Amino acid sequence: MAESYRRSRWTNGLFVVPYLSVFLTLLVFPLGWGIWLSLNKVDLFGGERFIGLKNYARVLSDPIFGQAVKNTLIFVGVSVPTLVILGLFLALALNKTSKGSSFLRGLFFASSILSVTIVTLIWRIVFIPNDGLMSLIFEFFGWQPIGFLSTTGWSLFSVGVATVWWCIGLPMMLFLAALQQIPKDLYEAAALDNASRWRVLTRITLPSIKSTIMLVAIIQVVMQFQLFGQAQLMTNGGPAGSSRPIVMYIYEVGFLRWDIGLGAAASQILFLIILCAAMLQYWVSTRKEEVDA
Amino acid sequence: MKKLLLGTTAIGLLALSPLANANTTIELQRFFGACEAEYGKATDVSAAVGECGIITTLVNKFAAENPDINVKVSTVEWPGYDQLNAQLASRSAPDVVSMHYSAMSDYQSRGLLVPLDKLLKDQSIKATDFTDAAITSVTKEGKIYALPFDNWTMLFHVNNNLMKKAGLMKADGNPILPTNRDELFSQGKQFKDATGKPYLVQVLANETATYARIFYTLMMQQNSKFFDDPSHIDLSGQDAKAALTFMKDIVDQGLSTKNLDYPAAVSAFSNGDGGIAVNGTWLIGSYDAQSKESNNALSNGYSVFPVPQFFKQKDVTYTDGHGWVVPRGDRSDEKMAAIGKLFKFFYDNNYEWSRTGHLPTVKKVIASNEFKSLPHRSDIAKIAKTGQALPSAVLRQFAIQDIIGEELSSAISGNKSIDDALKTAQYRVNDLLENI
Repeated sequence: MAESYRRSRWTNGLFVVPYLSVFLTLLVFPLGWGIWLSLNKVDLFGGERFIGLKNYARVLSDPIFGQAVKNTLIFVGVSVPTLVILGLFLALALNKTSKGSSFLRGLFFASSILSVTIVTLIWRIVFIPNDGLMSLIFEFFGWQPIGFLSTTGWSLFSVGVATVWWCIGLPMMLFLAALQQIPKDLYEAAALDNASRWRVLTRITLPSIKSTIMLVAIIQVVMQFQLFGQAQLMTNGGPAGSSRPIVMYIYEVGFLRWDIGLGAAASQILFLIILCAAMLQYWVSTRKEEVDA
Repeated sequence: MKKLLLGTTAIGLLALSPLANANTTIELQRFFGACEAEYGKATDVSAAVGECGIITTLVNKFAAENPDINVKVSTVEWPGYDQLNAQLASRSAPDVVSMHYSAMSDYQSRGLLVPLDKLLKDQSIKATDFTDAAITSVTKEGKIYALPFDNWTMLFHVNNNLMKKAGLMKADGNPILPTNRDELFSQGKQFKDATGKPYLVQVLANETATYARIFYTLMMQQNSKFFDDPSHIDLSGQDAKAALTFMKDIVDQGLSTKNLDYPAAVSAFSNGDGGIAVNGTWLIGSYDAQSKESNNALSNGYSVFPVPQFFKQKDVTYTDGHGWVVPRGDRSDEKMAAIGKLFKFFYDNNYEWSRTGHLPTVKKVIASNEFKSLPHRSDIAKIAKTGQALPSAVLRQFAIQDIIGEELSSAISGNKSIDDALKTAQYRVNDLLENI
């Protein structure tokens, strides 16, 4: 008689072994190793010596790290809402079946497939003084040129513009997918009730894609906290460190100064910041749901 | 079926046959840029121009002359030490790597470089064949750790056509250059008023190296002892303040380009957007070639000189250089012999490399007529005597350069006061050095 398929057997666990082994070797082990390194005085080529929490004390008292955290928080605080709102706007505008909107969806998504090197090269051509696009526009109107990549304030803004242009494709696609899941009869009912477009948006569309908005926001928070390539290639973190993000600080400390222990400590702090930000966002959204219920 | 099997086996064996030739492969990793489109197959070194053109052609020529040695070149973004660090950490470093003299101590002190005394001796290359400056830079603890390839420094590349317009040319056809700080400001203003263009074309955006190199020069010209102790920098004196104040005044008085990064600054001078480019020896070959073509901003109007002596204490310029090192790793005797052959080839072709504008490291090349007859070399010859590097015991010179460059840039752009910038730079550099 055949054995019941419900019966639990240890060999069933073998099915998750491939995943578990990859998860352990590529995620859990490096995480643990990183934490261990952060407790040691160690450079790129060895010389490990346990020093407890000294690396954390050094990172937290380093004004350059403080500046990098501030820059990153400002960057995330501005770029994530921009990506969510702009992504949603594009998705709403292109949620049609016409050929034109299909073409535009492809066009807006196209930037996402480029590598960071190409993206920064393109935006360098836009922002660079003398021959850059912005410089030519300013010259045409007779305005005083702005050093977009070399002026405090403008440098982080320029990195942000390039980032939004580069990353807008994914939020737009996720929102489009969510919008197409909303049952049509809800809109028909609203039309029968003569509901205004604003009311349809706020009472039907947005509540229906609430979980996707959350998903996009969390993905973008996690991604934008890890800003590196654009800042390094466009501004090299300057001027005066005003566009240096946390990951660039980690890179400089680890690879240029060879201080892997200090870099690992900064990495763990970044990990905690991202975790807290994502949890906070999750908590805010679920709390609202409970209140609504 | 049998025929098919036989045929497949025969094709397989044919495909493997090159491996049976026992070719030695040298993995060479370098900066100096990529120019495969123009020089990918070229072997005529004398026709090549610029760092990339000459090194690419040199390697091609070596490969053509040594069919038993296969040189696999990887080009890295300047300066390429991130890749090298990752390769060394994972024990997969290439066989030959281009390296600045200023970076060598970091690697040598951790036993990451192979001493080359025997390799050079086997090729009959003697330490005394090289200039003192070059051989001292690559000798650590009594052993030679690199084939010295060149010495380089920052220079004043001058657009004579614009200088003429500004009335800053002597009767002998040479430009009038400042001999002290006051003259720089007066001549700079005269130039700006006459041409409407900035006097100096400097790399001040997205860059730290240029700031640091000029600052080192100005400090050395004051005979400053800022790195008397290699594990501690001292920027608290009047010398550091005077150097940075001078650099800031130049920008504040509108005598320099402000927002140009490296490629933009190179092309700005080439397009005639400023009078004097403060840039390295490596551009002499390219700018000189441009000046020999007609109808461009530099046509018949290019000259080049050492950075003037702005402080009276000492006539000196900060210099560094490029060498070829062999990173730690297991290599067969055949491979080491092949590397030796390549190094001998580089040594024999030191003149060709000096056409880039870099100063040669081989004494007999410096003494040769063909080098002396290269354009502009007599104008910059004194650098062989006035060149000075940072003490080689100073570790992490690239990281230090980044910190100093960033803080100087903050002061020059007005984001920090001069005192604040110097204080922060000193704190950050010393924090770095104390924690090595």
